[in-house]
Amino acid sequence: MALARLEAVTYAYPGAPDALVDASLELQPGEVVALLGPSGSGKSTLLRALSGLVPHFHGGRFAGRVVVSGLDTRTARPADLAGTVATVFQDPEDQVVMTIVANEVAFGLENLGTPPAEIWPRVERALDAVAARHLWGRKTVELSGGELQRVCLASALALEPQLLLLDEPTSQLDPEAAALFLDAVERLGATVILSEQRVGRALELATRVVFVEDGRILLDAPRQEALDWLASERPAYTNACVGTTQASFVPRNGAGGEGACVGTTQAPLVRLRGVSYAYRSALPVLDGVDVEVRRGEVVVLEGPNGSGKTTLARIAAGLLEPQAGTIERQGRVTYLSQDPGRYLVRETALSEVALGVGGDESRARGALERVGLGWAAAQNPRDLSSGERERLGLAAVSASEPDLLILDEPTRGIDPPRKAELAAWLGRYAAAGHGVLVATHDAGFPAHRRVSLAREELQVAV
Amino acid sequence: MSPGPAAALLAAAGAAALLTERLAVVAAIALVLLALCLRAPAERRRVYLFGALSTGLGVLVLSPFLWSSPDGTVLWEGPALPVLGPLDVTTTELYGAALNALRLTALALAFSAYALLLDHDRLVSAAGWARRSALAVALATRLVPSLERDAAGLAEAVRGRGVQLQGARGYATLLSPLVAGSLERASSLAEAMEARGFGRTGSTRAPRPGWSRSDRLALPLAAALVLGVGLWL
Repeated sequence: MALARLEAVTYAYPGAPDALVDASLELQPGEVVALLGPSGSGKSTLLRALSGLVPHFHGGRFAGRVVVSGLDTRTARPADLAGTVATVFQDPEDQVVMTIVANEVAFGLENLGTPPAEIWPRVERALDAVAARHLWGRKTVELSGGELQRVCLASALALEPQLLLLDEPTSQLDPEAAALFLDAVERLGATVILSEQRVGRALELATRVVFVEDGRILLDAPRQEALDWLASERPAYTNACVGTTQASFVPRNGAGGEGACVGTTQAPLVRLRGVSYAYRSALPVLDGVDVEVRRGEVVVLEGPNGSGKTTLARIAAGLLEPQAGTIERQGRVTYLSQDPGRYLVRETALSEVALGVGGDESRARGALERVGLGWAAAQNPRDLSSGERERLGLAAVSASEPDLLILDEPTRGIDPPRKAELAAWLGRYAAAGHGVLVATHDAGFPAHRRVSLAREELQVAV
Repeated sequence: MSPGPAAALLAAAGAAALLTERLAVVAAIALVLLALCLRAPAERRRVYLFGALSTGLGVLVLSPFLWSSPDGTVLWEGPALPVLGPLDVTTTELYGAALNALRLTALALAFSAYALLLDHDRLVSAAGWARRSALAVALATRLVPSLERDAAGLAEAVRGRGVQLQGARGYATLLSPLVAGSLERASSLAEAMEARGFGRTGSTRAPRPGWSRSDRLALPLAAALVLGVGLWL
């Protein structure tokens, strides 16, 4: 008997076009389903329909039927489904309720009426499962994004749900932490729907794949069959470039091609020498780091969560002063912060991008077109999906064509085809005589050079 | 000390500051609360202390001009303005301004100490039948550092595009997105809470340590502070 069933579900958020169209799906106990599709395609909405949040929390127009463990979501509220269903949302910062980690994990158990004597042992087991026991007494505001994501998964695992809904749960994790996270999911034994843009590991884990586009389920098939379909219909999803294999542009002194160098002998656009920084004196995040970026190259800054990638990128952009070391900069520099979707300041996507080019709407429109958001020019940025907001941020910082473009986790929430397009565009941008510095967890992101910042554990949020 | 009794003591200190008419007593209460706040990490306490002290200073500077008293010695005489009348500062006005400024500062410092030093989770847990209200207060308390982080993030995002924010007017343009972002965050949090069963009947509490002797002493002490200051000081 199916654990959950969607029957011809069509749904639209209030005042918006259909986000899901005639979606039907059956989930069997113990299945791990990879939910793939472009950003804004309806993946998050599908997950919300399974948790009852659509339509109960969001309102809108709903047709069809969703039944989870015998409960019809038209009559059962999300709180009634909690425990049977657990959800880990995209942004961990927006789902943390309590101030201490252990209390945060216990929150759901308390709501469900778990016998008090069972609560702390279940909290311990859940934190152990995601290797986060050491965070037990830590304040949630002091955790890094990656640590918070593990705490959010622990909060879901503690409920011992039959159906676990994961909405891009590894977007802020480095590859090692992401693998650990997904291992914990695999061991759970529950039915899992995993919506992911880092598809490599998700496809390894999945027994079945569902592909959504424009609100419609285009594919619902066992893994092998789905891989064949993806290879022929959506090759970017099976391309090694978007997995975990490192990729490179043509070397800087190579003969032409994407990323060919146009100025290897020029002075660097930015040169950091012996740069150190500590948020707290006893815990240096950066200690004597040397990095430089020249015209014509894409440099990737990589390292585990908390290794100081963001700090270094902000220092390179001139947004943070180092406590030791020297910096030389040349030309105009712009910086895309982590989670740019949170930091939107204008009423329309067009004016958001135009802000960086002195209000020049034609340049702004060009930048929007380049990131595939031409259609959203008149939209309020806050009405866009998280992946679309990320692309809007990219358009906003690149519209002025700076000499040096610094991007902090620019592929977060971006689907594989867009990621490949971004990488190709950055290669062309560098080849046109600019420099690019990318801080990323994405091991597959192509670069001319990679700079590794190694650090095992950091106790402060960056 | 457990957060419940500690919150009661802070509330008592705030109430005492409002009840007394003696400047020295209010000043002493404000100083004790300031000392408490200084125990919080510097980067966290900064915004709270700035808010508390600047509000007090604002009252101290403005109220002699907005409130007029015929008593006391005139220290400064200025022009007569429409609506406000003659501008002057007397010793009585200055005393009243200092008293009100210190009262407000003490109240703000009591809230700051509550926000910075207490374990809000345990307060929520101890709230019993008023758990929803206690949780709402705890979440509202978190709004201050969240807004501070968001404001810094917004300013950095704009500067990162090569746009310089200039003057109060430049920063004022961030106010609307700050409020929008805050509402969006609140909506997301409410959604996450509902998905985790918040509001369901039959909820339980994880076992917590009981009250210590000092916790039990704190409640009568809080009551005594309010009564003592209210009746004799």
